[in-house]
Amino acid sequence: MIEVQNLSFGYKKRKLLYKNLNLKLETGSIYGLLGKNGAGKSTLLKNFIGLLFPKGGNISVNGYTPKKRWPAFLETIYFIPEEVYVPALTIEGYKKLFAPFYPLFNEEQFHSYLEQLDVHDKGKLNTLSFGQQKKFIIAFALACNTRVLLLDEPTNGLDIPSKIKFRKLIASVFTDDKIIFISTHQIRDLDNLIDRVIIVDNGELLLNASIHEISGKLCFKSVKELPETGKVLYAEDSLKGHTIVIENTEKEDSKVNLEHLFNSITENPEMAKSIFQN
Amino acid sequence: MNNTFNIKRFGRLLKKTLLERPMHTFGFAGLVLVISLLLYFIIKIFAGYGMAQRITFFVGLIGGSFFLASFVFGYFSSNASGSSFLTLPASTFEKWFCGILIAGILYPLLFLLFFKGIDSSFVLLYHNSLDRASPFYKKEYESVYLFDLDGFIAMNVYALFFIYVGAMLVGSLYFNKTAVIKVSLTLAILIIFILGLNWLMAFGLFGSIEDAAPFNHVAIRIGKEIGSLELPPAAGKIFKYAIIYIYPAIIWFLSFTRLREKEF
Repeated sequence: MIEVQNLSFGYKKRKLLYKNLNLKLETGSIYGLLGKNGAGKSTLLKNFIGLLFPKGGNISVNGYTPKKRWPAFLETIYFIPEEVYVPALTIEGYKKLFAPFYPLFNEEQFHSYLEQLDVHDKGKLNTLSFGQQKKFIIAFALACNTRVLLLDEPTNGLDIPSKIKFRKLIASVFTDDKIIFISTHQIRDLDNLIDRVIIVDNGELLLNASIHEISGKLCFKSVKELPETGKVLYAEDSLKGHTIVIENTEKEDSKVNLEHLFNSITENPEMAKSIFQN
Repeated sequence: MNNTFNIKRFGRLLKKTLLERPMHTFGFAGLVLVISLLLYFIIKIFAGYGMAQRITFFVGLIGGSFFLASFVFGYFSSNASGSSFLTLPASTFEKWFCGILIAGILYPLLFLLFFKGIDSSFVLLYHNSLDRASPFYKKEYESVYLFDLDGFIAMNVYALFFIYVGAMLVGSLYFNKTAVIKVSLTLAILIIFILGLNWLMAFGLFGSIEDAAPFNHVAIRIGKEIGSLELPPAAGKIFKYAIIYIYPAIIWFLSFTRLREKEF
């Protein structure tokens, strides 16, 4: 479990990016962290892994304080940054040097994940394309079987088939004793993958809800005319009229559109808050 | 599991550090040894054995360790490698000690062995090349001798080694990119500032001075004579031990605290 209590963080003392942020991430979910560029998504992930230290408040990850960077903590968490680092080693060389640090590393899984992601090269890793390097690190991270997996913009640099394979792989390896936390601004890449959505903007937590909860509270639909009553959080012109996000007072079933959800929440944070607090 | 030091984990970390970037460790160490050999050979031809020994010893020990020290924590030139280094499951102490072991212990030992080897070989070759029947044999034989690794010059080089390597270890954790250049410039500016300030103070106090070395002596010119003012032995000892032991210990420990507090 990841627990954030009154987190304050800023790169400059006088300008805090997060102020008194509270967040609780339970084990057994794939979280999608959505936010605009510069909203502080990577910063939050770096606080979780202990690369950045909170200026105030506490962060606890499975009972550990990330700031201490204890080996016992680092063995249970893997962070894939937006740009990955691979030394001038072969796949086998990398595995031999890095895998022993992760007690639950599974070699069979590692080769299977590489196969699934189409990483076959026998040469040095640093000569691979950026996308191949990223897929290699994703396969390695998944094979480490850490309880927490943090991914920062994991689909950046991946081609369309690779993005699909990535989604399939994440979904297939997920188990109830894990937390997978994916930060991205490429919202469509998380479709059908995440079961909880977290939206941050201007250092504020605007939403932390499950897909089930969102579809219960909001309705995503197309209409010919914009409704005169009800809380419309977002409307977009479409060929058949308008695509809207509205408070789900009629208990209608609809599929959550993450892009429209993101626009709804960031454009009408107060209205969204009032809907989700009820 | 011990979160400060575990011998197995440390062994893995050392192996990973040495083999992850072999060109930076083995390649560079090998290159410095070759340069040291060439330097000794060339300088002895033009400036004699004594100069060759001193310069080779200084460049090989301090120069080699200085650059190696920049490599051992040199992961912070990119976001990706810096994150990878800091999030690798090993303790801060193990990561720090691994750097110390490579740049501050293993390489210097390797260099000292190598230096002893080349020095002994060159001196032996010289001695064997002399004509035993020559009337100058004894004089020529005694003019070239092995470099004393416990001598005055060696001791000064060791003191400088601890300061320079410590400064590089700290510097590579403060300056994420091109740390070697930035640390070299910082050290140069610091040395010039200390020497300049010391000279100005001595000049202000004594007027006509010949030279002045910080914490050591002031040479004063009186007419045609030059007299040297030195610190009282007790005070001199304090400064000597501060420079040899206390200052290096502070900066080496500072590199540990900096690594522990490093945010990236």
